[in-house]
Amino acid sequence: MNEDNVLIRVNNLQKSFGGLDVLRGITTEIKKGEVVAIIGPSGCGKSTFLRSLNLLEVPTGGQILFEGVDITDKKVDLDKMRQKIGMVFQQFNLFPHMTIKKNIMLAPVKLKLMSAEEASRRADELLERIGLPDKADQYPSMLSGGQKQRVAIARALAMNPDVMLFDEPTSALDPEMVGEVLDIMRELAKTGMTMIVVTHEMGFAREVATRVMFIDEGTIKEENTPKEFFANPQNPRLRDFLSKVLV
Amino acid sequence: MLQEFQDRFYLNFIADDRWKYLVNGLKTTLTVTFFAVLIGIVLGFIVAIVRSTCEKTGKLRLLNAVCKVYLTVIRGTPVVVQLLIIYFVIFGSVKIDKTLVAILAFGLNSGAYVAEIIRGGIMSIEGGQLEAGRSLGLGYGQTMIYVILPQVFKNVLPALGNEFIVLLKETSVAGYIALEDLTKGGDIIRSRTYDAFMPLIAVALIYLAMVLVFSKLLSILERRLRNNERR
Repeated sequence: MNEDNVLIRVNNLQKSFGGLDVLRGITTEIKKGEVVAIIGPSGCGKSTFLRSLNLLEVPTGGQILFEGVDITDKKVDLDKMRQKIGMVFQQFNLFPHMTIKKNIMLAPVKLKLMSAEEASRRADELLERIGLPDKADQYPSMLSGGQKQRVAIARALAMNPDVMLFDEPTSALDPEMVGEVLDIMRELAKTGMTMIVVTHEMGFAREVATRVMFIDEGTIKEENTPKEFFANPQNPRLRDFLSKVLV
Repeated sequence: MLQEFQDRFYLNFIADDRWKYLVNGLKTTLTVTFFAVLIGIVLGFIVAIVRSTCEKTGKLRLLNAVCKVYLTVIRGTPVVVQLLIIYFVIFGSVKIDKTLVAILAFGLNSGAYVAEIIRGGIMSIEGGQLEAGRSLGLGYGQTMIYVILPQVFKNVLPALGNEFIVLLKETSVAGYIALEDLTKGGDIIRSRTYDAFMPLIAVALIYLAMVLVFSKLLSILERRLRNNERR
């Protein structure tokens, strides 16, 4: 479809809220099958960057080409593009008035991508995969945080997206539940899913990511393979940041 | 004492079939309330959705302005005045069924309050719900219908129920345009028998009974909706 298997190309992406410049020109590309971990101090713009990739934040400048289509163009059918971009939120955002299974089935059925039976089968499959087949008919309020986040991942996967965005997926979890969510993400990475993960889990970034990106002051200050990134950080701010988080 | 009570009861309700004033009045009151509630819900939902869509996306500005004027006028003037204006000014030169006028007036009035209740309900839903729906590729309308509004409905049900109880009682001013509703029915009996106590207490008790029944139905519905999410 486009050269070098590039899935997402970001050109000089900018975003400001009022007078505050949060993103000051981010340029990068994400290839198919990459697992990119984005780290950085809070308020550095990493979440804003991630949320721009499916236009939950509308950029104030620059382009985002997803599978060759400039999704910042107002004429693009954004809903269509978003069907291929799965997103997992820090606060899960499950639909509380629907059972777990209905949560997973909603979008594929309402968007007429699957019949109800197909979606039901797919939901069962996904619930099996995240290890929660017995929760199908329960409501989100009955689940633990870790279980909710696993369901949120399944809900996004039900759309068969080409890329999955994770916005600090474990930050709202009790420590003992972080592992189960990371396990699911690790499994997902093994299947070759392209993933972009904003995270504070350095262990995950080191083990699972194929590339780690350090965002600070609204720009990418450094990006590298996890090995080089952690062993040999160049940027002084990154060194400072790592010295604080890797204790 | 008992004999006197029986006599008054007979005079007010049995003689000349006066109970019919109450029964027919009750029918009118229920008709007006029922259809006004329908208009109120439909109008309220539309106005609330226009208002919150404009707040969230900046679209529908013109409609939003119209809605604001509607809310200001309706909430800023007494319902009796609105009723009189609709009957004597707007439909002043046309022959029109008074029940219809009452339905229209109370429906328009209720719509404004329902709109604000529902708008509050929409605002109380976390932004993450809309984002989750949109991130899955659902459109704004689809997310509203399948994700936001079902939650809103559940949350605003107590407030909506209260609004409808208020509306039921508010229709008692329909007598201002000489519509023979329940209140007017009791008042007609009073003017015939010169006994105020019996007919007016009867009217009050009928309103009370209706409100109690309605409250009960509402709490059953609420409980049923809540059951789903209980831990």
